[in-house]
Amino acid sequence: MLVWFLPLFLLFLMLGLPVFFGLLASPGLLIWWDALANDNPRFMRDITLLYRNVYNGMDSTPLMAIPFFMLAGEMMNRGGITHRLVEFSQALMGHFRGGLSHVNVLSSMLFAGMSGSAVADTSALGSMLIPAMEKQGYSRKFAAAITAASSVIGPIIPPSGIMIIYAYVMEVSVADLFAAGLVPGIMVGLGLMLVTKIMADKYDFPAASERATWKEKGQASLKAFFPLLTPVIILGGILGGIATPTEASAIAAFYALIVSLFVLRSMSWSDIPDVLKRAALASAVVLLLVGAAMAFKTVVSLSRAPESMADFVLSLSSNPLILLFLINILLFIVGMFLDAGPAIIILGPILGPIFVEMGVDPIHFAIIMSVNLTVGLATPPMGLVLFVASSVSGERVETISKAILPFLAVEVAVIFLITYVPAISLTLPRLLGYAG
Amino acid sequence: MGALMALLRGLMAVNSVLLRVGRTIAWVAIGIMVLIILYQVVMRYAFNAAPNWTEEFARFLMLWMTGLIAPSAYRWGGFVSIDMAVRTLPRIPAAILSLLLLMLAMTVLIVGAMIGWSEVTGFSGSFTTGSLYTFVFPSLSEGVTFGWDKMPRSHMMASLLVGMWLLVLVNTELVLKSLIALFDPDRKLPQDTAMIAAGAE
Amino acid sequence: QEYTLRATANSNENDEDYDGLVVFKNFVESASNGAIEVELFIGTQLCSNGAECLQGVADGSIDIYISTSGGAAGIFPYVQVLDLPYLMQNDRVAEAVMQGDFVRTMRDMALEDSGDAIRLMTIGNTGGWRNFANTERRIAAPEDMEGLKIRTVVADLPQELVRALGASPTPIPWPELFTSFQTGVVEGSKNGITDIMGMKFPDAGLQYLTLDGHAYMGALWFMNNEVFLSMPEELRRVVVDGFYALQQATFASPKRKSIEAYEAFVAGGGDLYVPTPEEKAAFAAAAEPVYTWFEENVDRGPEVLAALREAVAEAEAEINAGLEADLN
Ligand code: NA
Ligand code: NA
Repeated sequence: MLVWFLPLFLLFLMLGLPVFFGLLASPGLLIWWDALANDNPRFMRDITLLYRNVYNGMDSTPLMAIPFFMLAGEMMNRGGITHRLVEFSQALMGHFRGGLSHVNVLSSMLFAGMSGSAVADTSALGSMLIPAMEKQGYSRKFAAAITAASSVIGPIIPPSGIMIIYAYVMEVSVADLFAAGLVPGIMVGLGLMLVTKIMADKYDFPAASERATWKEKGQASLKAFFPLLTPVIILGGILGGIATPTEASAIAAFYALIVSLFVLRSMSWSDIPDVLKRAALASAVVLLLVGAAMAFKTVVSLSRAPESMADFVLSLSSNPLILLFLINILLFIVGMFLDAGPAIIILGPILGPIFVEMGVDPIHFAIIMSVNLTVGLATPPMGLVLFVASSVSGERVETISKAILPFLAVEVAVIFLITYVPAISLTLPRLLGYAG
Repeated sequence: MGALMALLRGLMAVNSVLLRVGRTIAWVAIGIMVLIILYQVVMRYAFNAAPNWTEEFARFLMLWMTGLIAPSAYRWGGFVSIDMAVRTLPRIPAAILSLLLLMLAMTVLIVGAMIGWSEVTGFSGSFTTGSLYTFVFPSLSEGVTFGWDKMPRSHMMASLLVGMWLLVLVNTELVLKSLIALFDPDRKLPQDTAMIAAGAE
Repeated sequence: QEYTLRATANSNENDEDYDGLVVFKNFVESASNGAIEVELFIGTQLCSNGAECLQGVADGSIDIYISTSGGAAGIFPYVQVLDLPYLMQNDRVAEAVMQGDFVRTMRDMALEDSGDAIRLMTIGNTGGWRNFANTERRIAAPEDMEGLKIRTVVADLPQELVRALGASPTPIPWPELFTSFQTGVVEGSKNGITDIMGMKFPDAGLQYLTLDGHAYMGALWFMNNEVFLSMPEELRRVVVDGFYALQQATFASPKRKSIEAYEAFVAGGGDLYVPTPEEKAAFAAAAEPVYTWFEENVDRGPEVLAALREAVAEAEAEINAGLEADLN
């Protein structure tokens, strides 16, 4: 009976029930139904277990990095740091054909070094760049599409909220995951720039500005210097033995505060409550979702679905290369319907061990799964980033969904590249001491 | 309909106050979390004396932050959902579907709030935290014992319970709005003026 | 079947907890002639730490759970008596104690403090003994610990011990420990050898291991009391015998597993140091304040410590009497 948890959950989701309630209602109803059918007087204990794991799922030290990185991102935004990153990107790439699209991608890559969230990227950069692109003659749907497509780099280049969740559920090191995400994130960025270049040549996109002089480049770099130091502080802090990843996230938030208050003077003391409030609001939603997904996962375990799913996967093929291909397709489909965090919490413990057993490196698999589901943030119908891009640009989700297809194609290509060339993910962590 | 509107206005006024208090505590909590973790790094790295209470206290604050501000996010539409079905259906079926979904959410919340209460007041809540202390008030029935004592987990677990109850209040507000919209689609519904953009992922 | 028991352990299938559970399941299912079915949930599928899992045992959503002493300390603080250093000399003494009345004393205390909800079934072993290991230097005397940042869990007793020896206790989450050794956030830990090798800590620089055996890694097996008592007596007997078989399995399993682990540690260039009896006495003397701390600060501490000391004395007397006969 309990195995119906997934279809029922998807039904609720498609009807429009918020994910949080769906994650609790579907297993809850099934436990109750199961108890009625089998005359099981102990069922209330299982519902209590469900509730309890919502709480237990949130009560975790590694998860504290989520509010801290959210906060760092909010500070960056409020403190005009986003603006400086865009100017810096423009000085470097504005003179190319399709200048602002390249600037959009590059800014996302830089923003990714300080923020762990694709949604924050879309709303911060989108509200600035989509109007600017429209003014230069890009169609609004194209501007929204490139913004959404490039924002998924946010949680691939460290720091990353999704990788924090993965590390938490699968008990791997956040530091290793962060190091492993850097090169794949840059590859997604380069891939998007390549598509942009092809389209720019074909449709004759405008350049954004004259080529910047060295002096202008220097000035823009100087203005972006302190913000660009953030990723160095985060990774340096972790790898230099000063801080754990959770602590590094708090340091990043504090650093962003100091830079915006005293160095750039782009934020005042009176802005602080609002910034804290926004970060708290955004992270509370994520944390509740994590808790609900952890509870959902418990019922999945009780139903013994993980074992039967593992058997099923292994019955398809014994060749890990073929299985990885199939899993990527599965994850891509899951990503269309489910948010990356819940998807990782529910599927990670089922899929991870199968592949680790077959000899796939745990960090490599973590990157495959995280990148794939992150790209899912920009796929319809349940693409969070598409919703945000739609509300920022005023363009309909359906229209953006069509315009984003060429970018998604290149992102899928990168996913397969990452899947079949483990060195892309593993070289950097190994250089930094990962022993796997 | 007039009675429903009056009920809605009253409830919204109460919710607005409660949620504002919740948001205020939440932003203070996240701020203190940052400071505490910074203190932890400094003490360990510079003074070689890692405090043992910092992490748990920061977690305590994070849980309360979540319980107190998540209901505001729900009120402002920050809980992610696919609204395709509701948007494609004709008005009446769409309104009925929304109402049914809200009732389902209400069931989840009320069951949650009930279990939460027994968790906090029952055996589960009597476990102690690892490193936190709380002030114990004198109790005449059990002899005059007061002073600092290990904090029970119930103090942390109450965060989700409070969150559940606030969500029940918000959900009731949404049910009322949806009822009014079903029977009187042209009536203008009151809005919460404090709304700030609730982004999430 | 008439009874389905949900058993959970937070470790993995390479752990001695799992070995014990497999023995238990096999014994109970066959000895009860199928009347009892045991379902195993290994890892954190149902709950992920002592507090969470024992809450489940109390309300019956989990029937059987193995907790470390640190994990149960939030509700039964006196179980930390097992973490008190240098009370039991070796496996032989510890195993005699864990099979004697001491466990029954602790069972009564736990039943009292949980309102008859949680029953301590037996105490086995999980991972042998805790030893000090570090990335910096060989530790032969308490003075060598001076200033080292030693990772502990967030519990009072292990922190008091590390402090008493002159080092700084530092709480670090388990999954971050490898990186923390590597980067120097912490310099040492107190773990059993199988955990050290399982996590590949030597690769992160943890190369100095002193076999001081400062704590017996007791595995406390708890069961929902109501479910246990609801069974007819002959099935209760099957369950109790099953826990005996489980206990024996967990006594044996770490001994077998640690041989390979120690060999791998030394083969990887690790420095394995066995302190002399004099050096061990110096460690015990330095750790003295921890006993006082335990008696003064832990609920029912004096009671449980006295029970353990008595049990140890009895076990030692019995073993010595046996030795007397065996050696001559
Ligand atoms: Na990022
Ligand atoms: Na972008």
